[in-house]
Amino acid sequence: MTVLEPIVPTILSMRRLPAATPAVLTAYGADPARHVSLGLITCDQDDALYVALDEATKHAAVDVVFARSFYAGAAHASGRLSGEILGVLAAAEPQSIEDGLAAVTACLAHDACFYDADGARGVTVFPHVIGSLGHYLARASGLPVGEAMAYLVAPPLEATLGFDAALKAAAVRAVKIIAPPTETNFACAWLTGERPGDLAACAAAAAAFAEAVVDVAARPRAR
Amino acid sequence: MSRPVHASVTRALVADLRHRLGAADPAPPRLALPPVVAPPARVYVARRPSLAPGAGSDHTTALLGIGHVGTRYATDVVLQFQAELAVAHEAVAAVLDDGWAADHGFLPLRSRVADHREYLLRPDLGRRLAPDSLARLQASAARDVDVQLILADGLSAGAAMAAGPALYQATADACRARGLTVGSPVCATFARVWLEDEIGAEVRAQVAIILLGERPGLGTGDGLSAYLVYQPALGKTDGDRNMMSNLHARGTPPEEAAPRLAALAHAMIAQRTSGVGLDLDRVEVAVERGYRAPQVRARLVDTGGRP
Repeated sequence: MTVLEPIVPTILSMRRLPAATPAVLTAYGADPARHVSLGLITCDQDDALYVALDEATKHAAVDVVFARSFYAGAAHASGRLSGEILGVLAAAEPQSIEDGLAAVTACLAHDACFYDADGARGVTVFPHVIGSLGHYLARASGLPVGEAMAYLVAPPLEATLGFDAALKAAAVRAVKIIAPPTETNFACAWLTGERPGDLAACAAAAAAFAEAVVDVAARPRAR
Repeated sequence: MSRPVHASVTRALVADLRHRLGAADPAPPRLALPPVVAPPARVYVARRPSLAPGAGSDHTTALLGIGHVGTRYATDVVLQFQAELAVAHEAVAAVLDDGWAADHGFLPLRSRVADHREYLLRPDLGRRLAPDSLARLQASAARDVDVQLILADGLSAGAAMAAGPALYQATADACRARGLTVGSPVCATFARVWLEDEIGAEVRAQVAIILLGERPGLGTGDGLSAYLVYQPALGKTDGDRNMMSNLHARGTPPEEAAPRLAALAHAMIAQRTSGVGLDLDRVEVAVERGYRAPQVRARLVDTGGRP
């Protein structure tokens, strides 16, 4: 059995708006007084792109003004380029958008991705550890910028057992647990170390989470 | 900017977890490679040490009989070449010290060149006297002389400073011994050969002789050359000149060169010409060329006897 094979996310579309109209800026949550340029990405893995967008805020002067998952996920997308998420970066000038998109691309290629939990991609798991939060996820989670955080996603039942295993495996606390159903019908949890900046605890929790998900996928009806 | 590829915390922890779960990738099968043929073993041995006493290098310092090791020169040959080239570079870069001429009893003159770089790039400016030097020459130099001797830096100021005064004195003495009057001692800075035309014409000399540091060869930064011209005047060409080169210990030493220069000057006045017009067969031979020991290459690099 080959499990936990990385499933590299695909960037389905990536376009720039060097000078967007104020109406569009406002509609997507940008501030026309500060933002001029937009970068738009769709991807077939929503949580990987959330992480990658946060990564971009660490590498360029960009703000993540819009990032929303689509209902029922990439398998039920509205078009072949829709995927399961649209992310929008906003910046004062186009070069920052370029730098931000480059960071997003690198992160999706080398870091953030779902993993195959049952060897057939019937169950996938996202046991991601963020060493240092950017200001997008920092604001979303209420944690300080630079904090370590485990970003854990799996299908509903698997995730529930996984969260429990993760919280028991290391000195971590739950920042936020989003019970199913979400837009994509997964469940999600953000954990952070009980001591500030405890990256090792987050990693141990994520490993326990992934192991629990793999176990459920292999023995779904075990007593 | 972006973190390196291998720095993903998540990838690392998942790889570790896969290993623990026994799901790590098996090693990929070995690629079938064609057999690699070993290169032929060849050992080059120097036939004999280069620069050693041998056929060619006994009689010349030229790069003859230097041997080889495989397809390249021996290390000591390369090092010697680089050291000799460095000597030549250093000689060209040298500049006559300020006040040197006056300290050694010469009237200091200067060409129209402003600095050393311009001296190398503008030979034409090196052939004419600067206005203040011309005025100084007119004010203080003896006129209507038979021979005007000029010491100059040329392309090796070091050679001019080291061997110039002795050769100058010996040549002046040899000329006086032949009954020729010799002009005031002058020393020119940033000078080209043709500067003797203007100086000689200004003092109305019969013959002008300029002694100047010569363009260095490999390892010879200490050579002087002498150029003689009859009735110097602006517009004389190289066809009007006679010259002697390699006036240094390993070439023509100053004690041999001075009588010959005096003899040449004497013959120019007698035949009233110089250069290609001068009949060298009628020049009285001042010094028989004596036995000269084989030249020995000055070793600038010690390789401990290993080639």
